[in-house]
Amino acid sequence: MNILVLIKQVPDPEALVEIAASGKDLNIEPKFAINLFDEFALEEALRIREKHGGKVKAISLGGAKAIEALRTAIAMGADEAMLIEDESFAGSDGYNTALALSRAIEKETFDIILCGRQAIDADRGEVPQMVAQFLGLPHVGVVVKLDVDDGKAVVESALEGTKEVIEVTLPAIFTAQKGLNEPRVPLITGVMKAMKVQIPKVSVEDLGLTKEMAGPDGSKTRIERYLPRKKRPAVQFIEGEPRQAAAEIVRILADVERVI
Amino acid sequence: MDFAFTEEQQFFKKIITDTVDRMVVPKAREIDEKDEFPWELWKDFTKLGYLGLRYPEEIGGMNADPVTAMIFYEQIARGSVGFAQSVIMNILMGTYFVYRFGSEEIKKRCLYPAMKGEKVATMCFTEDQSGSDLSATRTTAVKDGNEWVINGTKMWITNGPVADFATVLATTDLSLGAKGLNFFLVEKGTPGFAPGQIIDKLGCRGTITGELVFDNVRIPEENLMGAELNKGVEYLGEILDEVRVMTAAMAMGIAQAAYNEGLEYARKRIAFGKTIGNYQLIRAKFADMATEMEASRLLIYSAAWKIKEKLPSRLEAGMAKMFATETCLKVVDEVTRIWGANGFANEYNPQRHFRDARFLLYGGGTHEILKDFMGRILIGKS
Repeated sequence: MNILVLIKQVPDPEALVEIAASGKDLNIEPKFAINLFDEFALEEALRIREKHGGKVKAISLGGAKAIEALRTAIAMGADEAMLIEDESFAGSDGYNTALALSRAIEKETFDIILCGRQAIDADRGEVPQMVAQFLGLPHVGVVVKLDVDDGKAVVESALEGTKEVIEVTLPAIFTAQKGLNEPRVPLITGVMKAMKVQIPKVSVEDLGLTKEMAGPDGSKTRIERYLPRKKRPAVQFIEGEPRQAAAEIVRILADVERVI
Repeated sequence: MDFAFTEEQQFFKKIITDTVDRMVVPKAREIDEKDEFPWELWKDFTKLGYLGLRYPEEIGGMNADPVTAMIFYEQIARGSVGFAQSVIMNILMGTYFVYRFGSEEIKKRCLYPAMKGEKVATMCFTEDQSGSDLSATRTTAVKDGNEWVINGTKMWITNGPVADFATVLATTDLSLGAKGLNFFLVEKGTPGFAPGQIIDKLGCRGTITGELVFDNVRIPEENLMGAELNKGVEYLGEILDEVRVMTAAMAMGIAQAAYNEGLEYARKRIAFGKTIGNYQLIRAKFADMATEMEASRLLIYSAAWKIKEKLPSRLEAGMAKMFATETCLKVVDEVTRIWGANGFANEYNPQRHFRDARFLLYGGGTHEILKDFMGRILIGKS
């Protein structure tokens, strides 16, 4: 069973993020982490390999720093990794990210593609479906249980208040949801392997794309501007006896804030 | 000059930081409150293989250089210094002499299981009347046929009451002072070897620290951990600098944990309509803390690099230990001030860091003795 895992390096959830003066960019503190949902995907890939044999290969598209996310994948137990790195990708959207990933995937032998349901930075959750479209593969999203056997998979996909059980023929692409598994902590043997491994890099040209197709010119969407989050007002203390205070709270909620 | 970590070291830092965040940080409070050896965490964490950090790959270690080891020590102490002390004892002091001088049989019995966390190691220097003054050691080792007989009581022994084996400093001749000192391996279950009183400590709780009693403990000749007799102090010199810089790295771990708490609080706590991070006096605290922490790390990692390159590092190790620990004390103090009265509440973490930091003043040598020692090197004998 050969499994490809698409992973993205994202800003650390604790990194400071501010809107740049232009309003069109974000200034992000340079602290990075592997996308949480992609860790679930990677863990599931490792478990499938442990059960059925085969290989796990992690693929990422990003800057040079993304090599760290791929090393983490190796440390956790992935057999191989590959970085799609080219300056031309700066400013690309989900469409040309998916295009580049699918071009890279076309050259691989695989039964399953796993990735996170969304990246926790942009939160769009659009790349996996587009990869499925480019490759003509079935896609099952928001997976919380994945059983693979005999060329097909039986999958539980989370819906609002329920779950769908879906059967799909492989190869297929799945996106991992929280609850699918608990990602492992790397063993030192994995860490040592990851520290030494040479991770191959491929460029726009290697994928048969032009620089125009990779960057903002090839994107289908464009970020117009970022809007600052509405500031939360300071805490308001209500003085008085409990009964009076409760009445005052209701008055504020009903008449001032108009939320009840 | 190149001050940067290698790409491999940066990656190692990232992984160990994440591992500590996931496994140790959530348990730190409980470890401190219970003040019991955290066996469950010990088992889960040691399974990962970090206890072999410094030892060669051929025997299941990682062969980490001193700079990489310092990254580890700093991060594990950031998680929980009580847990870190136990872990580091197994990695460094508790196993070094067994690795260096133990027979293959001894290594199989002690070192390899200790590298996997299956056995807990310790090293014993301190007695009721000797600490940094090793020459005052009163524990004796007397040769009797092909055995050594150990008598004495050791105090302040990290992991002591839970240890499976101990490297024990003892003198073969009280009249020789430091020149009569040697290290001996004593294993749990040897008749006459027993744990004594456990010390109820202000900080670093969760590390079980206490007395070890040696009452006519008979051990085989091969348990002398040295190639030659009476060279114990010389052998100790082989890891002394690393131990001091390690203490400094632990200090930075505590300082960073406290600093992070301070940062979070300064960004959230509102006073007079603004978060307190907007006030100059609070900002100044962060500028000072960050500057001294950066200076500490430069001392730590340059001393570690010197150890790695086998350059003279005795002074630099002392400087790093002293400066980083004093910086840590300032940082934990400032953070409790930033937290206001909440810094005094047991409900929150700053008080734990405040208590933990104190231990590093004594562990690895008091600063009074360290300064005297460094001054003697700098001025020379006159």
